[in-house]
Amino acid sequence: MGRRGGIEVENLVRVFRKGPRAVDGISLAVEPGEIYGFLGPNGAGKSTTVLMLTTLLPPTSGTARVAGYDVVKEGPQVRATIGAALQEAALDQFLTGRDHLHLQGALHGLPRLERRKRGEELLQRVGLSEAADRKVRGYSGGMKRRLDLALALVHRPSILFLDEPTTGLDPQSRSALWAEVSRLAREDGVTVFLTTQYLEEADVLADRVGIIDHGHIVAEDTPEALKAEIGRPSVEATPMDPKERDAVARALGRFGEEIPAQPGAVSVRLDRGDLADVVRALDAEDLKVSNLRLDEPSLNDVFLEKTGRSLEGAGDPEAEEA
Amino acid sequence: MGGFFWVAGAVAGRQIYKYFANPAFLAPALFPLFFFVAFAGGLTRVGDVPGFDYAPGYIAFQYVWALLQAVAMGGAFTGFSIAGDFENGFARRLLLAAKNRSGIILGYTIASLVRVTVTGALVTVIALVVGIPISGGFDLFGLIGLAALVNVAATLFGAGVAMLLRTQQAGPVIRTPIFMVLFLAPVFVPLNLLQGWLQTIARLNPFTTVLDAARGFLAGEPTSALPAYGIGFALVLVFALWALYGLRRAERVGS
Repeated sequence: MGRRGGIEVENLVRVFRKGPRAVDGISLAVEPGEIYGFLGPNGAGKSTTVLMLTTLLPPTSGTARVAGYDVVKEGPQVRATIGAALQEAALDQFLTGRDHLHLQGALHGLPRLERRKRGEELLQRVGLSEAADRKVRGYSGGMKRRLDLALALVHRPSILFLDEPTTGLDPQSRSALWAEVSRLAREDGVTVFLTTQYLEEADVLADRVGIIDHGHIVAEDTPEALKAEIGRPSVEATPMDPKERDAVARALGRFGEEIPAQPGAVSVRLDRGDLADVVRALDAEDLKVSNLRLDEPSLNDVFLEKTGRSLEGAGDPEAEEA
Repeated sequence: MGGFFWVAGAVAGRQIYKYFANPAFLAPALFPLFFFVAFAGGLTRVGDVPGFDYAPGYIAFQYVWALLQAVAMGGAFTGFSIAGDFENGFARRLLLAAKNRSGIILGYTIASLVRVTVTGALVTVIALVVGIPISGGFDLFGLIGLAALVNVAATLFGAGVAMLLRTQQAGPVIRTPIFMVLFLAPVFVPLNLLQGWLQTIARLNPFTTVLDAARGFLAGEPTSALPAYGIGFALVLVFALWALYGLRRAERVGS
């Protein structure tokens, strides 16, 4: 890969002293201008990977090149090329939004006039112009996230790392951030490395998705290809009478293998037949259901297929990252 | 030096802005002022004790120590700020954006010097009000130079500890050694009037030479100026390496 815009990782490992093997030999490549979604539960190794790629944590072994620069040997060049908004927005409560942009520009060596101009442009772009002169301690979570994104963009980076950028945001702020991230990649050609534990976020935003679990990449492709790999839809039925759960499970079991379902419900991956066949089978046995749902394969199904667990609730708090 | 100076400038700019936006930045001057006002007033008669041979008088004798204490505590307080930045995660922003991370240390050091310029001036104004002599051969630059070296050394020491511990719990670890070095010196009486273990320790304490030289500058009779500056520069060098070691440790463990 050339010296522009991409990320190349080979056998990257990070072991914490007396701690878990947080990242266990991952390899991946992100093309310039691509949005790469790094999906996994809490403690899977997402943030540790970002810390290594942004030169905030040295790898235990393996290599990683960002924009063509080695993250260990060429840290200053990497930092000059990337922008990053990490999981917890590192903001100074006593500075205003505008102060932060001024400081960030100064850290990157932008001349004073350019700093001012770029600051105004970014404040407008993230919708913080009116709040620019307020101290950050009065900002909402969404405002802090937007400011953090603006700060990451001050020096026009060619690669942007976003570590769970929408965690804790309301739906409106989340949509606005998604729109801005998409625009950055499509219009400005910025490469985006995005970690998330939200399936929808990876599905909507990412050109390609890498699924990480316990420090390993368990699947990697476009969201469509990953879902197509699973191929089959699933049917979930909730019996009206909870006592009939086993009978419903037997009826549905004729159509495929049972998979984890909501409490009280039965879910199977359809190997044969379709929804109409399932309805007929339930009718034939006079089993009444309060809810019957056909689900097309999702990234959660991909995660389930690869790890045997559902992504929701799969986090391992004991293995929480750096 | 790609980025070294602009990183230093940015870090210093933020710190200085914060100091002047918050009156708490004068805190490092409070202790020395308390000691100065309390002891210089209450112990003035010490100046009449046989063997006390400091010509400008007891208030001036105390002023020099108060000034050096103020600038040393200014360095310690900068260490507290650095520890706070690591604890609340702001240091991560600096490390992430700084092309040359060593510039971060210089930035904090410059800010510390600016801070003690104000706190040192405050101590001096109060000392002038209560009556230190301004006539005679007052070698202002010699005294200011030594005060600056003490501040830079204390700042670098504090920076090293803060970056190693990366939590506000670093406070006592920074403050205690600085206090000990300051107090195990001829604080209230000249070295020749100290006795026993205190005199032995004070004699071995390199800060005693710095304090003597500073008092000599104020008296217009510089004594041991060269050794004092030598000690000052040596401390700055040693603690600069210490601060860089702290920074590298912070980088290695992921701040």
